[in-house]
Amino acid sequence: MQAPDQPAAKPAASVIKPWLLTVPAILFLAAFFVLPLIDNGMRSIVGETGGLTAGRYLTLLTDSFYLRVTVATVLLSAGVTLICVVIGYPVAYFLVRKAGRWAGLVIFLLIAPLLTSIIMRTFGWQVLFARRGLVNNFLVDQFGVLSAPLRLANSPEIAIAALVHVLVPFMVLAIATVLQSVDTRLEESAKILGAGRWRTFWEVTLPLSLDGIGTGAILVFMIANGSFVTLVMLGGGLQTLPLMIYQQFNTTRDFGMASAMSTILLVIAVFCLFLQLRLVRRRGA
Amino acid sequence: MRRDWINIALAAFVVLFFIFMLAPILVVVVVSFTAAGYVAFPIPGWSLKWFGNIFAYQPFIDALLVSFQVAIGATLLSCAIGIPACLFLARARGAWAGAIMTFLLSPLSMPMIVIGFASLFFLSWLGIGISFTALLITHTVVCLPYVIRTVAGVYAGVPRSYEEAAAILGANPAKVFWHVTLPLIRPGIMAGSLFSFLTSFDNLPISYFFGSSSTNTLPVVMLSYLEHQFDPTIAALSTLQLAMAVVALIVVDRIYGIDKMTVAG
Repeated sequence: MQAPDQPAAKPAASVIKPWLLTVPAILFLAAFFVLPLIDNGMRSIVGETGGLTAGRYLTLLTDSFYLRVTVATVLLSAGVTLICVVIGYPVAYFLVRKAGRWAGLVIFLLIAPLLTSIIMRTFGWQVLFARRGLVNNFLVDQFGVLSAPLRLANSPEIAIAALVHVLVPFMVLAIATVLQSVDTRLEESAKILGAGRWRTFWEVTLPLSLDGIGTGAILVFMIANGSFVTLVMLGGGLQTLPLMIYQQFNTTRDFGMASAMSTILLVIAVFCLFLQLRLVRRRGA
Repeated sequence: MRRDWINIALAAFVVLFFIFMLAPILVVVVVSFTAAGYVAFPIPGWSLKWFGNIFAYQPFIDALLVSFQVAIGATLLSCAIGIPACLFLARARGAWAGAIMTFLLSPLSMPMIVIGFASLFFLSWLGIGISFTALLITHTVVCLPYVIRTVAGVYAGVPRSYEEAAAILGANPAKVFWHVTLPLIRPGIMAGSLFSFLTSFDNLPISYFFGSSSTNTLPVVMLSYLEHQFDPTIAALSTLQLAMAVVALIVVDRIYGIDKMTVAG
């Protein structure tokens, strides 16, 4: 192995081009990441009797049941993303502008949940909202609001809360990174020129931090779109593409259909990746 | 006056936010110490029996071993192919290097369940369907980006002058790497390995497709346990896992200072 760009490279070393160092990683991903996905795409367009067919995609995009699942997947991800923006922005603003010496603690509290396993967090929601969980105990015993415990776990609202819980730290960090680079003198100028607090925020701070919201939103949307464990454990009757792939694999065993659904998820992911790259490039320019 | 009011509202919102963030985690930690035979919160008394119960259930022990082996194996493999790539990519300029970097990080952006489902069929076709090797390969696909992103980030911040000085003083490229570059990027390697290990250890959507009695990882066994039982053993196991992650993070931070690196992103 050699360090790249050696100015005083020995003749023996110059035979080895530095870019060759990337070859093992590229080959590995080409073989075990790209090829499986291509193979998966092929399975979705090869018919039962051989020969090519677009039938599965037609079903996915025209059959009202499958169409509803696809739309529900995208809407769920979009909804979770929106909630993350609304909740995450004030926290990011606090972290960058108000936290001061508490900033370290805020960052620690944001990152600490990432150390817990996804099963632990999902289980936590089940405990909070179980029949004998904290919420029901309060409502029934402490306040006597209800006569019998509610069946709260396994409802779409809890699943959405759990998804937000997993994803909102990414949003806060993305917004905070951009907010950090916003020149506070611009805000001061707006105030000196007579703009009120809200107007300064809406017309100066918010527009200048849109890139952070964009970066965070794409990231959150992308992860929410493929989310699986949270929905399996807390789903509450929500039907999304990842859950359908899981069911097709487990019970229906229609692998062609599962492959077609995987490809649709993949196309959405690639589109998000493309948007992400454009945003990064624009910010770099 | 009005100004203070807004600041107080913002601070109150942030406090509520962190209650929301920490409640589901703390509740599990508390439940793992319950004396009750069922999951309830608040708990009626304290006990360590559920931690003992983890070791009474053989599939947990087997899965714990599999998870450790896969996570360590995938991390080592990711370092072996990822670190060399970083040595080039962190210093390279130009469209090609950018494109390669994007490609090597792209598994992060793909839905895990799709990677798992597609890999099962492809690896079965190769004849290594449901096996430890298959787990190792698929986990490396999703661990590699963490190693590359962290190591490249650290190496990009290292001035070239150290390596140039060593080369001018007559060290050959191998010596430069071993005595200069490697010590400089070691914090990145340790942090990247930690992220990679935790990612593998927590993975369910890929491991699920490669499950069998000898290849079930811990999350797979935990999920199937939860399908039949809702008792505090899962809480105890989760707490143990969290304690492990915290200790690993503190150790790596004490030795190498993770706080100096950007974890965001």
